[in-house]
Amino acid sequence: MDLVPPALAALVLLGVIAGLLGALVGIGGGVVVVPGLIVGFGFDVRVAVATSLVAVIATSTAAGAVYVGRGQTNMRLGMTLEIATTLGGITGGLLATSIPPEALAVMLALLLLVTSGLLVRGRDGHGGTDEQRGVAGGQGYEVHGELAGGFVDPRTGALIDYRAEGVVGGSLVAGLAGLASGLLGVGGGFLKVPAMDLVMRVPVKVAAATSNFMIGVTALSSTAVYAARGYVLPLAAAPVALGVVGGALVGTRLQGRASPALLRRVLAVVLLIVAVQLLISGPGADG
Amino acid sequence: MADADRAASGGRSLVAFVLRVGLLLASGLLAAGLVLKVLRGDGSAPALALPPAALPAALGDRLLVLGVEALVATPLVRVLALVGSWARERDWRFVAVGVVVLVVLALAIALGGG
Repeated sequence: MDLVPPALAALVLLGVIAGLLGALVGIGGGVVVVPGLIVGFGFDVRVAVATSLVAVIATSTAAGAVYVGRGQTNMRLGMTLEIATTLGGITGGLLATSIPPEALAVMLALLLLVTSGLLVRGRDGHGGTDEQRGVAGGQGYEVHGELAGGFVDPRTGALIDYRAEGVVGGSLVAGLAGLASGLLGVGGGFLKVPAMDLVMRVPVKVAAATSNFMIGVTALSSTAVYAARGYVLPLAAAPVALGVVGGALVGTRLQGRASPALLRRVLAVVLLIVAVQLLISGPGADG
Repeated sequence: MADADRAASGGRSLVAFVLRVGLLLASGLLAAGLVLKVLRGDGSAPALALPPAALPAALGDRLLVLGVEALVATPLVRVLALVGSWARERDWRFVAVGVVVLVVLALAIALGGG
């Protein structure tokens, strides 16, 4: 493959879009990068997935640097769910060869459609307008030994306390996210954020930040596999990753100003688009 | 919530630091490698070979490989830093969670590399 400067510039732009969206709603951006690379640049699907995985790690690191610093990420929650996600990832990788890709694509698309609808509905059917109340001032924190904490919403300046519920349910969905990750080579954030927001009743901005933090870990094991098989091309990954960093840093700022309802709706649209893509063209990744 | 219920947030600053350093290092290497490749008009995109394979000979490619490796290492380092800070805070429940994740990750890499 030969990448001329205009192509490199276009890759940076693709990365900016992916990073911006990723940091905004807590996904890795893989859902933008993979189709973008295949359709826009004619990449081989495995190289596209490998490049996307590197980009996902870039989103995770860039957005993570901001959100963790802000105290918006609940790392205890993230790590707890990561157990299920990485196990799901292994299962996905092992299953990828035994289940027909078409069946997988349909099942995953259905799951995404359902999740999209649930997000639009928000918690308790209030259309996502359940803004959390909080008191002014204070700092983000995590509670020792528990899945609870507080974060300062930049939009209101209020410190909002929360406690995660339904760890088992949340872990099940996180496991599905890992499964999807193992099959599609994405970070799985598009299922983790709803898991935390809808099932575990964690504020959506914390869910997004926590998801951002963990998708890098999820993507890591898949990246190792793709690298071992020679699908990682640093010259392709570099411009996308650099674009992602820029986009993610802007995205974290935008998220500060957005309402939880808006974030849910943006994520719902992303899920819808991914579901449609899956139904049209199948998973496309190896297996 | 009473202040007494709040956890020490030492882990937060350490992890944020790790992420920032990783980001700067990886971005710097990737940008430098990219600029070099463009300046030399070299559009070739060789695949990354895992260690202990030798680094590419051309400096631009070498920097790109190092940048990607630095980037990809950050998730692992962040988990280690986090587990370390939890251990320091004596939050053993989550130290255990972190260790389980590391084990499953190692398993995933081992299974995948075959």
